[in-house]
Amino acid sequence: MKPAPFTYHAPEDAVEAVGLLAALGEEAKVIAGGQSLVPMLALRLAVFDHLVDLRRLTELRGVERRGTGLWIGAATTQAEVQRSAEVVRNVPLLARATPLIGHFQIRNRGTVGGSIAHADAAAEYPAVALALDAELETVSPRGWRTLPAAGFFTGMWSTALAPDELLTGITFPVRRPRSGFAVEEFARRSGDFAIAGAAVSVELDAGGRIHRCAIGLFGLGPTPLRASSAEKALAGRGADELPPGEVGRIALSEPESVPSDLHASADYRRHVGAVMVARAWQRAVKEANDA
Amino acid sequence: MSAAETAPARYAGTRVPRVEDPRLLTGHGTYVDDVVRPGMLHAHFVRSPLARARIEGIDVTEALAVEGVHAVFTAEDLNPGVREQWYTLVGRDVPDTPRPPLAEGEVRFVGDPVALVVAADRYIAEDAAELVVVDYEPLPPVVDYATAREAAELVHAEYPRNVAGEMAGLPVEELAPVFDEAAFTVRETIHQQAYAAVPIETRGLVAEWSASTGEMTIWAATQSPHEVRLFCARLLGLDEHRVRVVMRDTGGGFGQKVMPQREDMCVMLASRKVRGPLKWIEDRRENLLSAGQARHEHADARMAFDADGSILAAAIDYVQDVGAYPIPWPVQTLPVVGLLFPGPYRVPQGTFATTAVFSNTVGRTAYRGPWQFESVAREVLLDIAARDMGMDPVELRRRNLLRRDELPLVNPCGMPYSDITPLETFEQALEMLDYGAFRREQERARAEGRFLGVGTCTYVEPTTGVMPLYATEGATIRIEPSGKVNVYVAGGSSGNSIETTVVQLTADALGVNIEDVNTIQGDTAITPFGGGTGGSRSGSMTAGAIAETASVLRERITAIAAHRLGVSAEDVELADGQARVPDKPEAVLSLAEVAATAYFQPENLPPGVQPGLEASGRYRARAPMIWANATHLCTCEVDVTTGEVKLLRHIVSEDCGPMINPSVVEGQIAGGTVQGIGGVLYEHLAYDEEGNPIATTFMDYLLPTSTEVPVIEYGHVETPGPGPGGYKGVGEGGAIGAPPAVVNAVADALAPFGAKITRLPVTPESIVTLVRRARTRGTVTG
Repeated sequence: MKPAPFTYHAPEDAVEAVGLLAALGEEAKVIAGGQSLVPMLALRLAVFDHLVDLRRLTELRGVERRGTGLWIGAATTQAEVQRSAEVVRNVPLLARATPLIGHFQIRNRGTVGGSIAHADAAAEYPAVALALDAELETVSPRGWRTLPAAGFFTGMWSTALAPDELLTGITFPVRRPRSGFAVEEFARRSGDFAIAGAAVSVELDAGGRIHRCAIGLFGLGPTPLRASSAEKALAGRGADELPPGEVGRIALSEPESVPSDLHASADYRRHVGAVMVARAWQRAVKEANDA
Repeated sequence: MSAAETAPARYAGTRVPRVEDPRLLTGHGTYVDDVVRPGMLHAHFVRSPLARARIEGIDVTEALAVEGVHAVFTAEDLNPGVREQWYTLVGRDVPDTPRPPLAEGEVRFVGDPVALVVAADRYIAEDAAELVVVDYEPLPPVVDYATAREAAELVHAEYPRNVAGEMAGLPVEELAPVFDEAAFTVRETIHQQAYAAVPIETRGLVAEWSASTGEMTIWAATQSPHEVRLFCARLLGLDEHRVRVVMRDTGGGFGQKVMPQREDMCVMLASRKVRGPLKWIEDRRENLLSAGQARHEHADARMAFDADGSILAAAIDYVQDVGAYPIPWPVQTLPVVGLLFPGPYRVPQGTFATTAVFSNTVGRTAYRGPWQFESVAREVLLDIAARDMGMDPVELRRRNLLRRDELPLVNPCGMPYSDITPLETFEQALEMLDYGAFRREQERARAEGRFLGVGTCTYVEPTTGVMPLYATEGATIRIEPSGKVNVYVAGGSSGNSIETTVVQLTADALGVNIEDVNTIQGDTAITPFGGGTGGSRSGSMTAGAIAETASVLRERITAIAAHRLGVSAEDVELADGQARVPDKPEAVLSLAEVAATAYFQPENLPPGVQPGLEASGRYRARAPMIWANATHLCTCEVDVTTGEVKLLRHIVSEDCGPMINPSVVEGQIAGGTVQGIGGVLYEHLAYDEEGNPIATTFMDYLLPTSTEVPVIEYGHVETPGPGPGGYKGVGEGGAIGAPPAVVNAVADALAPFGAKITRLPVTPESIVTLVRRARTRGTVTG
């Protein structure tokens, strides 16, 4: 369990980093907290000739209010997110998802951007970004751009990022009145990747009907997913009109390729995924009703 | 009566803090990977990626060309170096199963070592290993041991039907009349999945061959340094006194490190062919691939009862998976599952059949209570029987558990029980829970749609068994001229606190302060010969060795002091590091003063008393085994929607005799219990249908952590056994008793669904499936 040889680079800023990525080509990989990459390197499941470390990129760290959004630097650690009062106040779903990521030792090193760019389908942050319609800010030698979370996750561990493109920050919409949020996941042990999970946000209108809602699913496909048909079925209805179990059932009728492994068959994942959606939906709606 | 037998114990029985802890808890332990020798080289194994294949050729050219690579060995290079290969515990003359150092001609499981790369560091060794080209001709593997006896293919050509061995009692047909005429019978096939010891320190050793002196020094992660030495001497054809084995700290063994395995053989053999000490430290993936499995087994278990629920007969037909290369010879321990199946119950008739079967998976190794399945099968079966009879499982057990007035007693399979208290531990555990209150709470919860459960397991366990390596144990005690005490025992501690207990017992035996006693263990060059850690023997055997040795020194100290003080030896007592005469405050000598006489003033010694204060003694076990027993009781809540199990309480009431140190006893129980909980709910060393292991990292091999395990509660019954101090073994029991209690607790929670658990592990998915099936059948009650 020793990685194959690689050359280590520690650029000073994001522009230098993407310049390196462009120059080094596909044999280069960005390393942030290393909580997923290092084990893969040690097991030689991944081999890269070059690692480009983001540790000196202070511009990629921090939490800032920007208009109706909260910007979080990609290299901000999960532990910093967990400690941030801004996040708790403005992006409750992100705050609630964070303690579910691994263990505190992992969150001390793991980063927001790393989690989203690594795009593990069973991870919490990609599903949260998707459910909240977060905006992903990137830089490449061709300049800066912003990508919507929808469409960012293109396949198992793959994203819309170009090989020489770096995720620099994520902007999450700040919570609005009469909204509620909940995340529920089922894992074999505390800290494990979820067998199935759901990240739910719901906003009610003045009449207590569902103005909009989002149901993000994780562990239930090759990428994080949105349960769009369930969301459509719910929009405009009374918050308590559909029983939560029914919401779960509709949401889990959507995923087409639910994974199956040692810990759970596809059938069981679908079953427990529906339970997680139902539980998250119930809590989110209650919060919105009480808000 | 000599002073050695009359001194009151000051430390034995108390919670003396562990002497190991300051170094271990501050990160200053010395494990194999901490050993660094000048010029040391590093070994890494090339392992088979296939479950079964013929090796058509191995090309090491490219690997050898890597800078920093010293050698690449294949079976051709190493295997002919084997002179003799056998384990002392098993003996030379048994029909042992095959055990080549490197795979020869055929690989037999994924992870089978095929070549050994030696390089300047581990990184280079792993780089080069990727360049070793092995030409494999795949062969159909025998993956499933349960069907291996009917398989067309053979794991080892010389073993027809893939059977490694069979042992049986009476033909079960002889019990047919009892089963036919019984008021009630129960019969289930119960399956347990493969799981493993998973020590946090993996296997490993550093082997340093000195050609100029003909000496081999080995630093090993082992439970038995002396066995490593014996084994190495035989393997390489060296004289035993030319081999020295050193171990300081071993980070867990649980049976996996009782004896050297194939990789150890390879490193020993290779170390004589390279220039420099050779280190191999197993990585986690290798440990999960190739260090061995345990617990993979099933049985057709039966019991017959009369109308009142009294057991009339018990029979078990047991089959175990021994993988491709079991360690040690599995047939020696195989029948124990059958012999112990009757357990702590009044079972008038019983019999067993046991079979060990090869498969193309990792070999079976010893694991904490290797016969544990006797308890799993029996206790799970008893709960099923109780439910089917409409009887409370506690009531069924009460009716059948052995009472003290029935002992000693030989069970129907020939096991001679004595000094056990199964009914006492059972009642104590129930009382700690308040069983009645729990049943009422369970009823209330069910009314709310919450499902609580309670399960128990009561077992008896032979500890300190007398086998060739384990029959005696030695100790040397040296009281220094300053009066400070060094006690030397073979050691082999893999976390079982023998340093602490040895220091406690020695302080008591000599009447000295515990701070003045130090122990030296784990170095074959300076400690007496001893069997090491295994078979729950360390407590009793080292206690015996210390008592033997200390009595010689007490007699000498007393004689010297009496002579100097002008009193008779009977008047002298040893306490607080002094030899003194009670009621005569002026008649006192410190141990240092006695030692000064013994070493430096031989002219002041009484006639016939030897100079010096150093003695060696050897204890010979008095009984063929010492029986221990315990009851585990577990409660849980099951979320029947997700299948999640939350353990609420885990209570262990045990009888390991008088406790040398209750904290050590409880630590042993806790460790084993957590392993047992893991085995039921989390751990699974799984293979796919092609024989590929699919739990090769801690992402997939799930160990229970502090968040999954409840606080473990302890109750103690202290009945002396037939050994020194009455001490019994306690190292293995936790891992035996916990699993059935957990299974039964979950099954009890699911009782309203009529669900029966006969297949482990109990995963959330398996629970949801059981509940779903019950709901489909429409059998939900209660």
